[in-house]
This record gives sequence, C-alpha cells and structure tokens, in this order.
Amino acid sequence: MIRIRFHGRGGHGMKTAGRIAGTAAFLEGYYAQDFPVYGAERRGAPITAYTRISKDRILERGIFSEPDIVIIADESLINDPAANPLQGVTKKTITIINTMVNDIKDKFSILGIVNTIDATGLCLEIIGKGSAVSAALGGAACRIIGIIQKDNLINAVIKELKNINLPEELIEKNVEVAEKCYEILSPIIIQHGEDIPDSPIETITLPYQYPTMSSPSVFSSGNIIEKKTGGWRIFKPVINLEKCNKCWICFVYCPEGVISLDESEYPHIDYDHCKGCLICYEECPVKVITVEREIETW
Amino acid sequence: MQSDHTAYKRIKDISRDEFILPGTTVCAGCGGLEALRLAHKVLGNNVVFVNAAGCFTLLALFPYSPFKGSWLYTNMASAPAGAQGIRDALDILIEKKRLRPEEDLKVIVLAGDGSTYDMALSATSGAIYRNLDFYYFCYDNEAYGNTGMQMSSASPLGAKTTTSIPDEQSPMGTKFHKKDIFEIWRAHKPPYIATISPRHPVDLSEKFRRSMQFKGPKLFIALSPCPTGWLYDPSHSAKIARLAVETGIWALKEAVFGETIHTYIPSKLKPVEEYLSVQGRFSHLFVPVRQDETIKKIQDEINYYWNHTEIQK
Ligand SMILES: Cc1ncc(C[n+]2csc(CCOP(=O)(O)OP(=O)(O)O)c2C)c(N)n1
Ligand code: SF4
Ligand code: SF4
Ligand code: SF4
Repeated sequence: MIRIRFHGRGGHGMKTAGRIAGTAAFLEGYYAQDFPVYGAERRGAPITAYTRISKDRILERGIFSEPDIVIIADESLINDPAANPLQGVTKKTITIINTMVNDIKDKFSILGIVNTIDATGLCLEIIGKGSAVSAALGGAACRIIGIIQKDNLINAVIKELKNINLPEELIEKNVEVAEKCYEILSPIIIQHGEDIPDSPIETITLPYQYPTMSSPSVFSSGNIIEKKTGGWRIFKPVINLEKCNKCWICFVYCPEGVISLDESEYPHIDYDHCKGCLICYEECPVKVITVEREIETW
Repeated sequence: MQSDHTAYKRIKDISRDEFILPGTTVCAGCGGLEALRLAHKVLGNNVVFVNAAGCFTLLALFPYSPFKGSWLYTNMASAPAGAQGIRDALDILIEKKRLRPEEDLKVIVLAGDGSTYDMALSATSGAIYRNLDFYYFCYDNEAYGNTGMQMSSASPLGAKTTTSIPDEQSPMGTKFHKKDIFEIWRAHKPPYIATISPRHPVDLSEKFRRSMQFKGPKLFIALSPCPTGWLYDPSHSAKIARLAVETGIWALKEAVFGETIHTYIPSKLKPVEEYLSVQGRFSHLFVPVRQDETIKKIQDEINYYWNHTEIQK
C-alpha cells in the first residue's frame, strides 16, 4: 500500500490534489481511498489530505501518521505547529515541496528524499493564477509513485475539476500544469516504512470537570497576535514611501488592520500578519504600492 | 482620538486605534472583517460580542482571541437570547453597585446572514419586541459561508451557491429573492437600523456614532464581499463593495424609529452587469450563454426600488 499525505492551506486545493491521485490510481486499476481533514478554519489555514493506493482491498481507515510520500504545498507550513507536515517523516519518506527555496532539505533538516518543484510558478505561468496548486501537486504525486500513466492522470484531473464546476478552459490549463509536473519529476522507488503495529483499543474515560475548567475560555486578550498569518501570502505588497501621499486609503481598507501609520502619517505593513490579499495594492489611488512574488516568508 | 465625540466627515476622522488584532484565520480579503474592524473603531473597547456560529467564530479560535474585549459564543439560533442574558446580568451588577456605570459594556450580536435572515429571526424578533438594549451586526455574505456556501435566504436572485448550482432545470442558480431583512426589522420600529458597506467607511462610522445615542435594538447589515464564496480575487473586495453601491443593488440607508432616509444616493446608477460580471457566482449568467432575461430581471428590480421607494436624504 502507498500512503500519501498532502499538506496545504485552505484554497491550495490539496483535497482535490489527493482526489486526483486517488482517482488516477483507481482508473489505473488500483483500489484507492482519499479524504481531507480540516478544522473550522477558512481559506489560508492549514489542511491535510490523505490518499491510500493499493493493489488489494484497503481495510485500513482514518488518518495515518507514517506516510510514504509527503506533499507540501507551501514551505511556510513546515514550521507551523498547526500543520506539522514533517510529522512521521523518516529516512524512507519522499517529500515533495512546492517552493523556490533551494537548500530546503538542509534548512529544515528533513530526513529522506526531498524534491522541490515551483508549482506556484508553473500555475502563474500557465493558468495566470498561483493560488490553487491542486492539479500540479496531484500530477506530482502521480508521477512520483511511478505506477500511473499520463492518460489516467489527465482523466483524473478532468473528472475532479469538473466535479468542482471549474469552467472548461480552466480545466484545460490545469491539465497542462499537471502534465508539466508529471514530466518534470521522475518516479522514485518507494521504500515502505515500518509496518504500523495494531494498537490495542483503549477506552479513555474523561473525569467530570467544573465548567470553569472544562470550557474553552480564553482569559488573555488579543493573544492572537502570536499567530502569524504572513505565510499565507503568494504576493507581497511593498509601499514606495517616497511617493506615498499619506492619503490613509490603504490603512483604512486593509481588512486585517496590519497597516499602521507612523507619526508623520506614513503607512507601514506588518509582514508577520499581512495575508497578501492585495486590496491595498488595488486601492492605492496613486499606485505607489507594488507587488513582489513571495519567495521566503520567514 | 476619542471617537465618541467625532462627527465623521472625511477618511482622516477614522480612528487609528485597532481593536481587532491580526492573526485570525478568516480568509484573506474578507469584506465582513473589514466592516467589523471599522465598526469596532467607533464602538470602542467596552464591548461584549455575542457571536452566532459562522465564519466569524473563527475570529476567536481557542486558545486565541483577537479582541481586547469580551466574546461569547452561541449557536446559530440564539445569539439574541444570549445578548439578553448578558444585558440583564450587566444591569443587575450595576444596580447592585458591583459594576461601575462607566464599566458597562455594549452588547453586540455578531452573526452571519444565515442566523440573521433564517435561524435566529424569531429570537431576534422577540428581542426587538422586548426593546433589548443591544447592537446587532450582521455581516451579510449572502450564503452559509462557514459550512461551504450553501444558499441562505439572503442569497440574491441568480447567484450560484453550493445548493443552488445552475443546471438545466434552473439555469439561473438561486431562483428566490433576497429577503428584505431591513424592512422586517423596520416593521418592529426599533430606534435604529442601517445598511453599511466596507467601501463607505465614513458613512459606516457616522452611522455607528449616531446609533450610540439610542437605547434599544440597533441593527447594522454590512454588505460583506466574500472572495471565497463569491468567487473573485481577494484584491477586489473593496471594488466589489463599491460597485454594489454604485449599481444601486446595495442601498445605503438608515431608519430611525421606522423612518427611512438614504444616506447616499448614486447620481446615476451604473448597470448592474458591472457588479455581476466580476464575480464567479454570477458567471453562468454570461457564459456559455448569456441569460439576458435573468440579468434584466435583476436590473428591473433595482430600477423599481430606486423609482418607487420614497427616497429621502
Ligand atoms: C443551530 C445550528 N445549526 C447548524 C450549525 C452549523 N453551522 C455552523 S456555521 C454555519 C453557517 C452559518 O452561516 P451564516 O450565519 O450565514 O454565517 P457565515 O458562515 O456565512 O459566516 C452552520 C450551518 C450550527 N452551528 N447551529
Ligand atoms: S495585502 Fe491585504 S492584508 Fe496585506 S497589507 Fe495589503 S490590504 Fe492588508
Ligand atoms: S494608499 Fe497609497 S498613497 Fe495612500 S497612504 Fe497608502 S501607500 Fe500612501
Ligand atoms: S468565507 Fe467569506 S465571509 Fe467567511 S471568512 Fe471567508 S471571506 Fe469572510
């Protein structure tokens, strides 16, 4: 059995990437299982998707913590404790990362084989948008495992993207992206990790707690500032202060409130938290905000 | 800057203080968050939010809070009842001198359109009837956003939602009309009701300021452009909010004890197409076949509103 775990942010399309891999394997004649797991969060927050592929019927259920392949849609997730994409990664694991950072294996001391691919760049080039990388990373997964023919990948991409009502011309472009990723990468022989031992079923009994203890109350105020949302950006807004006319427009329209004005009323962006929506860029009346592709958020 | 004493005339009257700290997990470019952020600047720090389940539940996700003030989470149908409980508790504490009057809090229901137009409507009607002293902030993203963009009774005619996907039987998507929650509230004759838009920050701020003089129920319906559900690039949130007002589809108005005035009247309405064509949720009205009849129907309704309502300024 091959176990692939996909990590992305809401909006990256990792649920769809997992489905593309599962469907392609199914079309190839394998048994497949795919499903996402996410919390209550919205677009931008970490999500995980899982795909199992096997020659035999799959009796295993639920999430797995020892993947053969890990696919990471955004390198800013690597250090995010809420995502923890390197959990269970061993010397035998293959990790594929969508990034433009070269020495990422050493930088994060990642075990096993690490391959990088600039899926966002490819999507920007072919689709014109870099936010959803589902077809790219679904294609990457299919190639790496080495058992899926290109035709079946293409059919899977079409089927899954039709399912989410994407218009035809967008599906075509996504097929092109998936093919490109398939061609860029080469198959890698998968060495399975240790067999996961059957764990005995244990019943946990929770003792009664007083509501003050057991209810999810937050007693400190404004502590969300510790959560950095700067990793959500694909593009980074940069203000040319020399040409800024201090009109306050960017400050007023930034939904996150991450633009502050200094004593002389010049705007400054808090990049730890700017989500990269680019409303400031669109709204600046004198167009002194430019955008740069975000390469390394942290 | 003390906002309580400012009359808002220009953008630089808006407070530089932030009351919602960044780090929340709502989507990038959320128009509802923008409206709430601006509103909070006027309301100040002494507030308690009573939130009905929805996207904005994600503002305060355990163990984090973006607020300096307080927050209570309720289910979708009962935020106004929660507000009543808090208001009563505050009143009793003040009466028993266990809370100084200057420590009093403004009680604010924070709810999406699903709760406001559908699930909590009866609880809300009861609260208005009892003249509960509270604010009701509805961020109207015109669908059940947090559970995946299902149709709500705020979804507009012709919009695609995940439960009104255009097909051969109903190619227009949503075939029902948006419920007029402003008029439903107005029939109760509460002290203050207003519609607001994040792209009209001065109008928005001024409305909150004005409403603060009234004791009793105060409603704000905030047009909340939603990149995720309305299917457009997050950078266009402000532009879409502006087009909603300029095409006349979102009328900026207020009603004091049931008397309506419009606070902004577009000098000439832009064609509604300009608003529809920039959002994926209406794309089926243009491709593969243009659905002229539906577009015209939407336009006719807007024209009817502006020609047949007594528009007072
Ligand atoms: C009584 C009840 N029914 C269903 C739910 C599940 N639920 C949680 S959020 C949500 C969607 C709320 O939609 P809306 O009020 O429009 O707010 P939005 O998600 O758009 O912010 C639903 C159905 C709930 N929490 N309570
Ligand atoms: S990109 Fe969006 S979040 Fe970032 S500063 Fe601009 S408006 Fe604010
Ligand atoms: S909108 Fe542009 S000109 Fe105005 S304050 Fe911001 S950067 Fe300066
Ligand atoms: S789904 Fe829409 S309303 Fe909900 S958080 Fe995202 S942008 Fe805001």
